[in-house]
This record gives sequence, C-alpha cells and structure tokens, in this order.
Amino acid sequence: MNKLPLLLRINGEMHDVLVEQYWSLLHVLRDVLGLTGTKENCLEAECGVCTVLLDGKAVNSCILLAVQCRGRDILTVEGLGRPGNLHKLQQAFIDYGAAQCGYCTPGMLLVAKSWLDEHPGVVPEPDAVREAIAGTLCRCTGYQKIVDAICSAAARVQEPG
Amino acid sequence: MKLSNQFAVVGHRLPRLDAPAKVTGSQIYGTDVMLPGMLHGKLFRSPVPHALIRRLDVRPALAIDGVRAVITAADIPGTRYGPAVKDMPVLATDRVRYVGEPLTAVAAVTAEIAERAAAAIEAEFDPLPTAFDPETALAEGAPVLHPDWAGYAALPMLARDANVASHSRIQHGDVETAFAACFKVYAHCFSTPVVHAGYTEPRAATARWEGDGALTVWTNGQLPYEVQATLADILQMPVSRIRVLVPGIGGGFGGKLRIGLEHYAALLARAAGRPVKLIATCEEELTAAHPRQASLITLRTGVSRDGTLLAKQARVVMDCGAYAGSGPGTAAVALQIVAGPYRTPNLLLDGLAVYTNKLPTGSFRATAGPMGNFAVESQMDIIADDLGIDPLELRLHNIVRDGDTGPAGEPLSAVSVEECLRKAAQAIGWDKRRPGPGRGKGIACGWWMTTGGSSGVYVKLNADGTATLGSGAVELGTGALTGACQVLAEELGLPLASVRLAPVDTDGVPYDYGAQGSRTAFSVGNAARAAAASLRQRIAAFAAERFGVAPERVSLEDGHAVAGEHRISIAEVARLIQLSSGGLIAQGTFINPPPPHDAARVMNHPLPAWTTPSFHAHAAEVSVDTETGEMTVERYVVAQDVGFAINPTGIEGQIEGGVAQGLGQALSEELVFYEGRVVNATLTDYKMPTAMDVPPIESILVECASQAGPFGAKGVGEPPCIEPLATIANAVAAATGVRIFSAPLTPEKVLRAIAQSEFPLG
Repeated sequence: MNKLPLLLRINGEMHDVLVEQYWSLLHVLRDVLGLTGTKENCLEAECGVCTVLLDGKAVNSCILLAVQCRGRDILTVEGLGRPGNLHKLQQAFIDYGAAQCGYCTPGMLLVAKSWLDEHPGVVPEPDAVREAIAGTLCRCTGYQKIVDAICSAAARVQEPG
Repeated sequence: MKLSNQFAVVGHRLPRLDAPAKVTGSQIYGTDVMLPGMLHGKLFRSPVPHALIRRLDVRPALAIDGVRAVITAADIPGTRYGPAVKDMPVLATDRVRYVGEPLTAVAAVTAEIAERAAAAIEAEFDPLPTAFDPETALAEGAPVLHPDWAGYAALPMLARDANVASHSRIQHGDVETAFAACFKVYAHCFSTPVVHAGYTEPRAATARWEGDGALTVWTNGQLPYEVQATLADILQMPVSRIRVLVPGIGGGFGGKLRIGLEHYAALLARAAGRPVKLIATCEEELTAAHPRQASLITLRTGVSRDGTLLAKQARVVMDCGAYAGSGPGTAAVALQIVAGPYRTPNLLLDGLAVYTNKLPTGSFRATAGPMGNFAVESQMDIIADDLGIDPLELRLHNIVRDGDTGPAGEPLSAVSVEECLRKAAQAIGWDKRRPGPGRGKGIACGWWMTTGGSSGVYVKLNADGTATLGSGAVELGTGALTGACQVLAEELGLPLASVRLAPVDTDGVPYDYGAQGSRTAFSVGNAARAAAASLRQRIAAFAAERFGVAPERVSLEDGHAVAGEHRISIAEVARLIQLSSGGLIAQGTFINPPPPHDAARVMNHPLPAWTTPSFHAHAAEVSVDTETGEMTVERYVVAQDVGFAINPTGIEGQIEGGVAQGLGQALSEELVFYEGRVVNATLTDYKMPTAMDVPPIESILVECASQAGPFGAKGVGEPPCIEPLATIANAVAAATGVRIFSAPLTPEKVLRAIAQSEFPLG
C-alpha cells in the first residue's frame, strides 16, 4: 500500500500523518492519533457519536475521508475546552445532568456548538434544539436534559478562556 | 416535588462525579482501549439459520498477509456456557442454530485485514428443519434445536423439556372454578417483537496474556465478576488468574450483562501471542447480540359485575432464540408482571422460554416488564370500557395496598400505587380523557423489584481527608454510583467532591452482583453505609484517645472529628493512622434478603418473591392523525415511587431516558426477521427515537420510604421503561377507539385497525 502524507490541523495543532486514501477521519483521529474523545459506533453516519467540526460545520467523521480534510480546520471535543476552561456547553452539560453514559456527549456538544455558532445571540426554542440534534442518537437521557443544557448555554456568555 | 433536604449531600441535585471527564472526551471507554502490539479480531458467522456444518475451511484466511491467528471449535475447550442453561458453545461445533452464530475467529494486524480474512473462510452446510417462532418450536414433531439438552448444566430450579428452556408457574386458588362464577371473563392475546437495548457504544473487549500465564481483559460489560467467572469456565482456569477491568461503559441497559466478545479476545490473544481487541459492528449488534425476547402473552381475566378481579390465567411465551440466555429468568419474572399490582384471589400463571432458530436473547431494562405490562394494562382498559367503568377507577378498585400479599404470598409494604396513579392522573388532566377528535389519554401502572444479590465495597480514607469507594459495580451511565457516593459522603460528613470512585478491576475491588436490576445505588449505597459506620467508629476511637474523651462523645462534622472543644480534621486522622497502622480502609457489605413467601404457590421460578418492590404510574396524551395513522405523543407524565430521591436530577434522567426507550418500543422499534435473518440491521431501519420523537417528560417523584434502602430509597433505573408501551396503547385506544394488540404501534397497524373498526371515534 502507498500511504499518502497528510498534514491535518486539529484543535489548532498540526499533525503530520501517513494515511491510506480510504481511511476515514474518525479512524485517523482515534486509531492513528489516539484522540479517542471522538467516539465510534455505527460507522455509517446514522448515530452521530463521531461528530466533529470541519471548518465550524458539524460532520460525521466516520464517513469523511481523512484526505478530504487537508488544509481544513478540525475541532474535536478535546479542543472544545479543558478543565478550568470549559466551554459553556460543557459546563451546562455538567450542571443539567445532560451526560449519562457520555458516549454521545462529544458528538452532541459539537453539534450544539455548530448550531450556536450559526445562530449567534439566539436563545433557541427547545424544538429548534431538538431539530438541531436529531442526527445524534442518545439512548440514556431521553434528550430532555441535553435540550435544557443547550438552551441554557445559549443564554450564557462564554467566559473568556 | 418534595425535596429531601434535611441532609447535607443525599437528596440534593449534585452533578455526577464523572461528568467532567465525559464532557471533555477524557473518559476512556471499552472501545478506546489500545495496547502495544495489539491485533484486531473479527468473527466469521453462520449465514444459515439451522444446519449441520459439512465443511469449514480456514486456509484461505490463513493465506492472507497480516493474519496472525484463526481459531475454530477444534482449537478450543468444548465448554458450553450461559447464565441459566449452559447451552452455548463459544464457536459452533457440529451445527449452527441461528444466522450470525460464530463459527471461527480471526486476528490480524488491522481490523480490515481481519474482516477480509473472515470473509475468505469457506463453509458448507446441510440444512436442518427450522423453527422460527415459539409456536412452531412447541408443535408436535418440531425440530429439537438442542438434541443434547438433557445433558446441559442448568440452574437447579429450572423445568426444561427439549425446546422449552424453562417453564415457571405461579398458582394459587382455583382459576377454573372462579372463572365459572365470574360476571365476565376476558381473553386476549398480545405480542411484542425483539428489540435491541441500543446502547451507543458497541460491545468491545481487549485481552492480553501476561508472562505468568494470567489473563487480563478490558471490557465494557456490565458484570466484571460474571465476565471473570464465565471466562474461567470457558478457559478452564481459576478465577484468580483472570483480571477483568472495566473502563467507561457507553450504556448497557442489560444488553451488556452477558459475556459478548471477551472470550474471543482471550482465545485469539492466546493463539496469536499478542493482545487482541474486538469491537462489535453495528450489524453484529443488531443481528447477534443479546436483545429483548419477543413475547406472546395470552391473558384470561375474570371479574365481578363491579369490576373486582376474581381470577387471572396467563400463558407467557418468551422467544429466547437459539440459546436460553436470560430467557428463563425473563419468562419467570413475567409472571409477577402479568399478575400486576392487583389483588387477584385466583391465579394460574405459566411462563415459558422457548428455543427458536433466531439470534439468542438477553436482558433489556426491566426484562419482562414492558411485555407483561402491555398485556395486563391494555386488558384493564378493555375491561373498564366494557363494564363502563373509568379505567383509573377500575385500577384504584383493584390495586394492592399495604399489608396485602404479592402473587407468591409475600407480604407487601410501602405500597404506593394509589398515590402514583392519582398523581399521574391529576397531572395529565384525567377528567378530560378524550379532549378532542383524534386525541386521547392513557394511563398504566405497574411494579418492579429492586433486585437482590450481594454487594461488597471497600472505602479508603485518604491522607487528604477524601474517601475512595471501591466497588465491583460499574458505572453504566445511570449515575447510580454517584448516588452511592452521595450516601457515603453523607455518612462520613464529607462533601460529594471529597469522594471518588476507584477504577473497576477485579484484582482490586470487592465482589458485587453488579450494575443490573435497579439495584446499584440501593445495594452499593447500603454497603457504603456499612463501611462508613466502621470508619466512623475507628475515627472516633482514634480521636477519643487523642482528646481523652469517651468515643461516644465524638461526632463527624464538616470533615472533622469533634468532641466539645476538641477538633481534628479527618485528613489529619487519616494521615496519622496511615503512619501508625497502615491507613484506614473499611469493608462494607449488604444483601437484601427476599421476603418470606408461600413456596406452594411458586414452581421452578428463580425469583419467587421480589425484594423491595417499587410502584409507578404513567399517563400520556396522544394525538392520532386518522388519515395517516401517525401518532404524536403530546404529553407524558411519570409518577414513580423512588422511596427516597438520593439525587433528583439523576432520577429524572433515568425516568426521561427510560420513557424514551419505552416510547421506542411502543411506536417504532422492532427487529424484523425473514426466515430467521434480521432484515433491518442498520440504525436507519431499526428506528430508535431521536430528539424530535421524544416529548418533554414530566417526572413526579413519589417518596414512600422502603425499609431496606439507603435513606428509604427504592430501585429506580428499570421501571421507567415498563409502562410506556401500555400507556401509549391505552392513549391511542382512547383517541381512536381501536385497540392494538401487537407492538410496536405503527401507523400502518393503527390505520388498518381504524379501517376495520365499525365505529371509529376519530
């Protein structure tokens, strides 16, 4: 096999990797770079747990080829916020009990972030949030506390990091 | 809602302990485990439902570059395993019994090579006659799926016979005589399909053999000690040579109770001499995991003119698939469910688990709960409507109350069905049951056990004054262990932030019956209480000696041992005891013994009398588009007796999530089979509710304290999944006038029923 050299910008850091051209971004994140915060499940873009942001837009990393990400900005949960400097969505998920098993949480957080970024200053109606996160399955929460957390985060001002 | 706020830690809405790790992506799950030199495993599975294996050729797989090991039944011990009946081979030996049964396992340097190698394996089969449903399997002359069934080891109380993996019975009074004297007898048949627990993290296992011949296994299974015991059985090794670690688990809901991939990882790792990891694919999850049994329930109920229940007969058939799995327990527990929280003087309840040529089944949140409750609570509404009695009134007229006995003759206490029913009815606005065309409200009530089994914990007091709780129960996601830590913190006078959980490692944490059966916060919480009592004594003794006072005068407050003017921090006590006598570690244990029961009433039943039952009622308002059959759940209310709400936020999370799962089973979820093969094995075709399908859920926490639970708590996790199916069926019936007897209630079924109904109300 002839692997291709690829420079990926992930969470603001440059990563030099050798990839097969058919490898998904998810595979490179998890199995090559060890960034396991992005989760894997269905591998066919049905469950949404692998969601990351590509140039700010939520994408399913399981069906995105890594080579398509050359020169683009990738944000994973590891880049969203760290302890002591959490993103307001992360804090709201903690406060509202929006994470149970937590396996869909990274994907949910990033879908929510892309929605908030696309709707600056908007405090959404719960139904708009439900529509925004409908592509990400959660089996633990019944979604209610996730919706509450996202609505509350939308109303909060992000603390400067 | 009552907030139990006379305490410092329990009863408070505190964030769960693992939340920061989960929102930052740093929580490690079973699928995340990576070891140096690790290989990847895949299984080659049967493409046919029932056949003798004529030829199995693994040479094409071995010829592929990067393949490191291929194993078949010939390479491994011939042990059979299973929680109730040891009927399941690790790899098929002479025959296969379902589409998806593992035949060989392959390990290779990458997952894709392993997959390619598995696909290259050649197999030929001689088909055998099939039985795809229990009625066929029970018919005269049906193919016997397990010709050697009589020789299998099994739980001693099980009654088995060929395709009947178990037959349990609860009986008292004389139903036939009672039926003859009834004003009316109603007979109905209800069915539910196979449904999958739908955890978002697939099952995963990683195994490594150590230099001394011991085995280490990382799993996202729910029961580390059962994984250890089952592996010891399969591998014919002592349990102490098998170390099981559970990092995070991405949901289980019972679907990860039984061993899944751990044995394949262990056997492949041994054959390859390298660590091996397996992750189930989504297709494998939906075709070859441990889903909920399909059920067929026939229910005859006799009543007096005023609606008093006089006699009930039930035949519950659980389709356990090719191997018994959790089928025997599920078929047995169904009997308490179909009895319901009702006084019934005459009962004859039979529960059968039956082998068929379908995928084996396991447990899913409240095992038999949704199926049995669907039957009972649908029929209660049918009876009420027929007698012209309000369904709520019919229930209130027949429910059990304090001092009554349960179906096995066991005494019932802390019974709260009436309060749950009244609160749910009031919240949904029961006085307007049919608020408009195509709109209706439904109600259903039920009960469930707080499963017994023993719990051991250790609690270590750290030199900084914090405490570490070590337990063999794992955190599935329910938050139950945060609840147990709240109990511990309360008892030690510490804030929750000063308690942490030890990692789950069978070499380091005590035995626990496990995170199952709504028992974790209850049972681990009580064990933690016992450990805390022992620690308090030792802290008091140490402090008393230092203060020169009697130990009884020492109390724990705000992280200090205090006696009058004297005061020493727990941190200082811990540090000093660490220096003088190896630190402060206490063990705590707990078991909730089952209540006494009348043994003559119960036959071949592994759980004859439930420990610390909880009671609950659900109510929903549904609108039905009578042109399309489409149903919308407008409102959903749950009144659940939790005994004592250790963490109201966590409990609401359990209720909201359990109802969402129940709504999936009510409205959309079903594994569809064609000749034994699952035909909808993707998450697009297996329809779990999305955020747009689940309405806001209103939780009412009823606190009718139990005797045995920590601070009066009762089991919480499973019940919310029990009543949604019946509640929705009853609401749809109220909205449309048509009754659906098989789950899920799809728009097609509703539309067909409306079309066939003479007097549609919609």
